[in-house]
Amino acid sequence: MLRLMTSAPETRALAMGVLLLMLAACGPTTVKVEGNFPDPLMEPVPLTMGVWYPEEFANHEFFDEAKTRAESGWIVNTGDAQVAMWDKLLGGMFTEMVHMKGAPSANQMNPVVNAVLIPHVDELQYAIPQHTNIKVYEIWMRYRFELVTTSGDPIAEWTMAAYGKTPTAFLRSDEAAVNLAAVMALRDAGANFATSFTRVPEVAAWMDGGLPALARPAAEAELDSTGALSDEPEGVEP
Amino acid sequence: MRTAFLLFIALLGSGCVTSTVDEMVFNEPLAGIGDSTVVILGRRHASDYETEPDFIECVGDHIADRDKTIAVINEIDFINSLYPWFEPRTAPLHPEDINRLLEQEPVAQRMRELKTEYMIWIDGVTIRSDSAGSMTCGIGPGGAGCFGFGTWSNDSNYEAVIWDFTDQAEVGRVSTSASGQSYMPAVIIPIPIIAPVQGTACDGLGEQLLEFLSSEF
Repeated sequence: MLRLMTSAPETRALAMGVLLLMLAACGPTTVKVEGNFPDPLMEPVPLTMGVWYPEEFANHEFFDEAKTRAESGWIVNTGDAQVAMWDKLLGGMFTEMVHMKGAPSANQMNPVVNAVLIPHVDELQYAIPQHTNIKVYEIWMRYRFELVTTSGDPIAEWTMAAYGKTPTAFLRSDEAAVNLAAVMALRDAGANFATSFTRVPEVAAWMDGGLPALARPAAEAELDSTGALSDEPEGVEP
Repeated sequence: MRTAFLLFIALLGSGCVTSTVDEMVFNEPLAGIGDSTVVILGRRHASDYETEPDFIECVGDHIADRDKTIAVINEIDFINSLYPWFEPRTAPLHPEDINRLLEQEPVAQRMRELKTEYMIWIDGVTIRSDSAGSMTCGIGPGGAGCFGFGTWSNDSNYEAVIWDFTDQAEVGRVSTSASGQSYMPAVIIPIPIIAPVQGTACDGLGEQLLEFLSSEF
């Protein structure tokens, strides 16, 4: 005879586990976008570029736009893939890419760089075959970029579109198709950014002003004025 | 008897396909392409379809399998190794655009490493044009089964444009179209009789490209 060797607390824990599993089965399907992004093949732009990913960018996700997040049957998480793609792209596109420790501002101590790039996803639209009757999954994103000094002073701000699509395929799940469309959109974003960055009028004007001196945060400049962090050679008259 | 039965099954299992191939080429490499390489790429600019990566791979495999001396670079490997210059947004649309690419020294260096002599762009798609019939399937304590009849047709249309990378010129165009009707009768068990439309288009296009690239065909 088979006997259950469980005590009352264990039974309760087991029942709770089963209940949680049942509730989890009712939750939305989450697709975490994953892909391999290649290094860009180009002459690096001679800049030390800082990058700061705002929280909403690093954790970016989208879901059924007709419903709230809790009601949506699915959630697509693109944040990690966004960061992975932009890290790879910016790392190969500029002489050096440096992650900032905090959002650029006068009071934030950050590494010394020429400028800081702050990407945002302002808008995202998607289409799936059930919407369009075309056997293609599509994702369209509008990015907004801020280029600022480490003190947070604006240098340039512009928007850029990215688009990715993938056809339906035999034995490919909806999740895999959405993932692939998102990866294609991210690759397109990288391609668009890499080929247009130096042609953004404000950026071009900023770069035409001569290779910009490495911008430093105001907090460091204040320390400089007190002599604490002065990098002036000793004994040199002003 | 057994061979005849297998032949009957094979005939039953495939629908009929009609296919046409048009070809127009110049400056054919009569001695073959030597140790140079070929890359076959799909055009993906259209908003309502994409040239299937599977089809591109099929054509490449057809060429490489028939003539082992021809090195065909995998499409994804090529696009990744030259990112971001062969994405749908940035890919060259005309042979003259190759100059613009080669102005970038890292790109020129990579192309020298890959030894790419011919770049073949394939544009097209296979679509299901119409379908008819109905089928009902059921399951019960005594077993499961289907009853009905379905039929559909597929159409493939592809065009390959051959670019000579060294001369930066278009040296040929090959197009193929194929169509076929597939059937699926079901009496308890559905029996698919599939017309290999895309496969026929792949073989037709691959064979013509092989004739252009290979000295043996």
